[in-house]
Amino acid sequence: MTLSRPQVHNEGRAKRPTFMRTFKNLPIALFFLLPTVVILGTFNFYPALYSLYLSFFEWNGVSPKRPFVGLDNYQRLFSSSEFWNSLQVTVIYAAAMTVAALALGMIVAVLLNQDIRGRALYRALYFLPVITPTVAAGVVWKYLFDPSQGVINRFLAGSGITGPSWLTDPSWALVAIVIVGVWKRVGFNMVVYLAALQGVPRIYYEAAQLDGASPWQRFRFVTLPLLAPSTFFLTVTALIDAFQVFDLVYVMTQGGPLKSTDVIGYYLYRYGFRYYELGFASAIAYVMFALIFVVTLIQFRLSRGGAQGEN
Amino acid sequence: MRKYTPTFLAVILFSVFSLSLAQKLTFWHYWDGANGQVLQNLIDQYQEENPGITIEAVFVPGSELVSKLQTAIAGRQTPTMAISDLVAMPFLTSSGALVALDDYISESNVDMSDYFAGPLVYGLRDGKRYSLPVSASNLALFWNKAIFAEAGLDPDTPPETWEELVEMAQIIKEKTGKWGYELFTQGGEGTSWQWQVFLWNKGGDVLSGDLSSPAFNSEAGFEALQFWVDLIDEYEVSTVAPWGLFGRGEAAMVMDGSWMTQFFPMQVNFELGSAVFPYPEGGEIATNMGGEQIFIFNTDPETQQAAWNFIEWFSSTPVQVEWDRGTGFIPIKESVANDSTYIAWVKNARPLLLPFVESMPYANPRPPVTKYPQISDTLANYIVEALYGRMSPQEALNTAAQEAAPLLR
Repeated sequence: MTLSRPQVHNEGRAKRPTFMRTFKNLPIALFFLLPTVVILGTFNFYPALYSLYLSFFEWNGVSPKRPFVGLDNYQRLFSSSEFWNSLQVTVIYAAAMTVAALALGMIVAVLLNQDIRGRALYRALYFLPVITPTVAAGVVWKYLFDPSQGVINRFLAGSGITGPSWLTDPSWALVAIVIVGVWKRVGFNMVVYLAALQGVPRIYYEAAQLDGASPWQRFRFVTLPLLAPSTFFLTVTALIDAFQVFDLVYVMTQGGPLKSTDVIGYYLYRYGFRYYELGFASAIAYVMFALIFVVTLIQFRLSRGGAQGEN
Repeated sequence: MRKYTPTFLAVILFSVFSLSLAQKLTFWHYWDGANGQVLQNLIDQYQEENPGITIEAVFVPGSELVSKLQTAIAGRQTPTMAISDLVAMPFLTSSGALVALDDYISESNVDMSDYFAGPLVYGLRDGKRYSLPVSASNLALFWNKAIFAEAGLDPDTPPETWEELVEMAQIIKEKTGKWGYELFTQGGEGTSWQWQVFLWNKGGDVLSGDLSSPAFNSEAGFEALQFWVDLIDEYEVSTVAPWGLFGRGEAAMVMDGSWMTQFFPMQVNFELGSAVFPYPEGGEIATNMGGEQIFIFNTDPETQQAAWNFIEWFSSTPVQVEWDRGTGFIPIKESVANDSTYIAWVKNARPLLLPFVESMPYANPRPPVTKYPQISDTLANYIVEALYGRMSPQEALNTAAQEAAPLLR
């Protein structure tokens, strides 16, 4: 008790000096921030703004001629059937990949949260794809998907099913890309869900059990709601990731067959780096940015609404 | 301390003096592995013959070279000289950063009439020449002798015409169940540049003579594409599948590049042959062509001259013979292709290469226009539409032409 008084006294007196000290430390703080500010500024913000600027020009990247075309690039983009196709492909990919990876991630997490033998090994195995380089994984999957020699179709043939020709079939190629995308994402979702599950107090389950809740009811009314914040976080990050998918498509299908996997990321690559249309490619990038921004905004709205509803 | 001063000064003076004499040229290229080594050996030889000149060869991966050059041009940090895939030449000359070579050429021993015509269409802009060919590759037929024998065909006789190709492919399909001919059906440049050979075989061309409009939607084009569709649907000797059937012994014939004369023998476990690509009866022998061009960036007259001196030496027939023997590239000059040492080397060391060397006079260039990559992708995309049976060859090529036309304006 005697100790607390001088402390209070000190705090009271220290208020102004603290403020002064903060102010005095500002240059030092700025100094420590400098590397981040400079690096982000040079390599993120400046190129991002420059790209916005370029989207109003027609330029191949080397020509001294760089005519200003105003909104022409955007107009051309919105009137191009290629763009709408890419948008559709990307939305399908993003939705399918996100939902499937969420569901599988949750199932795996719930299963591996139980006391089973070798669960550390299983957890590691499910996480492995997350740290596998996408390009390497894509190359291997390309072999797995080979219609005649691939493991997948041989396995299917073994069970009496004639597998599709996957990457060369316009109606299956995107499915194949989604499968690999999910395979690569599940481990990450699992880890986040596992962490969330560890935080669920046992007492809730015990209470539910006492009330006579079945295992399914315990999952549905205890686990699921308590995982909602994680689900929200995972949905946002997965969608942002999915909208930017490029490397898998680049390695596995090059956007084909018949543009059935021509996601926006690959569409942008084609125009920026194969066709040397930097202005048009920048416009694609900004439309993509706006899209991701809007989707994330909607999600934040929805999640807030959801939280209020629960209250 | 003072004792060292004169020595120290002398060292500095000497360094400054020799720096002003020595000329250092940087040279960006994407030749890796053995090819890079051959280049380095030639550069060493040149440096020995020309004291005071240092050439620093900088390897840049092929997939990155053009974008690196793009950045270098934008940042005015260009190398003294560089090479590039010929397809990128119209793009690079549009930068205004390259040196026109016409004056250097006219004052030198370089004989332009010695070059094959194909590679020379690149590097031209507004009537001036900005690059010289330094290497070439092209396409021809490979066939699997084991499958030919299995089907009861003479393993040493490849088809000479499209008609023979179909005939043999059908026998192979019937006797062995294997595919007769492998088509590149995945779209992109792979489909486009292979199909162009069939187009030229029929006497057609990709663009109009003045490069201002698409010309592939001609009668020749329709017939060439119909032939591809027929190989799949009518004769049932080809299939839409991921590239690589021939390499795995699942298809008996394929069109592939001269570089594969080096790689196929290491990859496959069957005996193979190569031949000039078959042409239709009444049609023309043709092949497509890849390769590299060399060019100099704007700097000062002395540096440009020094770079040109190296290019002139590198382009000379004896050096090119060394170069092509070391790398397996196809000669870009007739004097090299007819050189007795070179021919002896091909016959003894790389007999599979012979048909490719013989094909070179029939090598057509892909259109040297800046928008070629986009035009090519568009064309390939509609070729694939026809192969999947979604459009007739006429409809596919007409639509492709409609989409490609605005790109040429």
